[in-house]
Amino acid sequence: MRSTILSARWRANSGPWALLCSVVAFVYLFSLGPILITAAVSFNETNRSSFPPHGFSFRWWERALAPEWINPLLFSLKLGSLTALFSTLLALPLAFALFRYRFRGRDALVALTLGPLMLPTLVTGVGLLQLFQYVGLREYIGFTALLVGHVVICMPFAVRTVGVSLHTLPPNVELAAGSLGATRWRTLRYIVFPLIKSGVVAGAVFAFIHSFTDVNLSIFLARPGEIPITVKILGFLEFGFAPTLAAVSVITLLLPLILVAIVERVSGLGDFIYGDRDRA
Amino acid sequence: MLEPALRLVGIEKHYAATVAVAGIDLEVNEGEFVTLLGPSGCGKTTTLGLIAGFFPPTAGAIYLEGEPVGDLPSFRRDIGVVFQDYALFPHLSAADNVAFGLRMRNLPQAEIARRVADALELVHLAGLGERRPLQLSGGQRQRVALARALVINPTVLLLDEPLSNLDQKLRDEMRIEIAGLQRRLGITTVFVTHDQGEALVMSDRIAVMNAGRIEQIGEPAEIYEHPATRFVAEFIGRMNFFSGQVTTAREVRTARGLVIAAPVPLGIASGAEVHVAVRPERSRLCRDKPDAGLALKGTVRQVLYLGSTREFHLDLEGGERGLVEMPNDGSAVTFDAGAGVWLAASFDHCLVLPARS
Repeated sequence: MRSTILSARWRANSGPWALLCSVVAFVYLFSLGPILITAAVSFNETNRSSFPPHGFSFRWWERALAPEWINPLLFSLKLGSLTALFSTLLALPLAFALFRYRFRGRDALVALTLGPLMLPTLVTGVGLLQLFQYVGLREYIGFTALLVGHVVICMPFAVRTVGVSLHTLPPNVELAAGSLGATRWRTLRYIVFPLIKSGVVAGAVFAFIHSFTDVNLSIFLARPGEIPITVKILGFLEFGFAPTLAAVSVITLLLPLILVAIVERVSGLGDFIYGDRDRA
Repeated sequence: MLEPALRLVGIEKHYAATVAVAGIDLEVNEGEFVTLLGPSGCGKTTTLGLIAGFFPPTAGAIYLEGEPVGDLPSFRRDIGVVFQDYALFPHLSAADNVAFGLRMRNLPQAEIARRVADALELVHLAGLGERRPLQLSGGQRQRVALARALVINPTVLLLDEPLSNLDQKLRDEMRIEIAGLQRRLGITTVFVTHDQGEALVMSDRIAVMNAGRIEQIGEPAEIYEHPATRFVAEFIGRMNFFSGQVTTAREVRTARGLVIAAPVPLGIASGAEVHVAVRPERSRLCRDKPDAGLALKGTVRQVLYLGSTREFHLDLEGGERGLVEMPNDGSAVTFDAGAGVWLAASFDHCLVLPARS
């Protein structure tokens, strides 16, 4: 009896189901396909980016792990980590101000904070380059300028995620903490912060990834010896695609993925949006 | 004379365009259970927030045990609050929720552990201390919230509609339990509710609030038996109202010229517009015109059988409606829908209330 009902339902739903399956397959083909092909190409034996690969060797991976590539990679890691740190530190008070209080100039501050999210980073990059040159900060072009620029374009993500978790904070918990004798600071420390922690962590992760993958802005603010991996890859492309590049790309791709996996394990991005809305 | 545990003097709270609390004076004595009762938007929860110190009053003063606390932030007031949604800390276990107030007071670990255990025991949650709020039922969450507010030995306990999120059975249970606990601990309590049943059962005194003011304050029986205004009479229990004009100290004449014999209070002069009010359970049905008191002619529109009582809904001459509630004492029903009857009430059961000033 039961199985007939189920199969009837299955048949009734099989049209949409097939459609869903094909859409998913399509998405996977074009999102995973290039990655798999790139990975395969990096194992070519000859200096030709052919697919399927000719033979098998690690020689391009050896090259990819040489200082020429490892240094920009470490540079990007350092830049991304500091960007994440500063973006989050700035995002915390900003999110509180923007999502908690109404005040004069709030709309302007919202526009300023979240604005870079909507501007083409290319334009932001050109603008920052000009700024650094014309106000006599030319010698800071390189790491410092990159850090400033990355914080500008990454902070909106952190402000958003912190803002969302502030928004989903259960009502009255702060008042309750106050009535129990917690000062404003201790309420933040023991109640608010633990409850918005996953939003803060998510913001930091987004900021890191956005910084690590940025090329539009970095291309203007880098200088020899202080080059993020993305800019390095772009520069190398002038000489054509090579299996080395494929290996570097795979490394560059895996690093953020590993980071997200670690963070997910340690602090859990999954419960980023706090769930107890049930108070019936 | 002993200072009241809590005293509000001329408290007001204005928001940009609205007046939430329009001037409240209230004294709550040590160990007393006072209920702020009123419809939503009457300012009762705002009043509670002012007592707790969540926001400052626009005008007026608040005293706790004689000390003015108007300038003290909530964390220095020693007030226990149970919120309508409980506001438990979702990332902490029940025991850590209860311990929070004690930790904020930097008490020694051993004392905290002992007091938390006692508090959980008090609300019958011993053994559930390790659970997170999400793993507890609605009733259990409420008990945690109560334990958390009580464990700090507050000067005053504030309860903001704590029962409104529970189902009927649990609510009946908890109202008895909370009232019992309050009496046993002798803790001064201000309770906010819109449920007249809760107010009548639990309170030492009830303050009926309307539009940011206290309309009447008194013991439950006093509020029920002698409501001061039509608002109070309507809000607590049910009431028949007949409007008219005072003719003598013992008589009110309705617009249609019917004369109702009712005791007119001293403060109401003859000629004044009034409402004569009479409770449905103090009204009777008569086949023939009764001799004295209130007598209004009409027909039975509907009879409702409620088990322990029967309700007779009447259409009275002149278009007014009447309600008579009679105990189901086993005698046969003598009035059916459509029957012509008299709604009667004795002189002493009629209240004369000023038409809204």
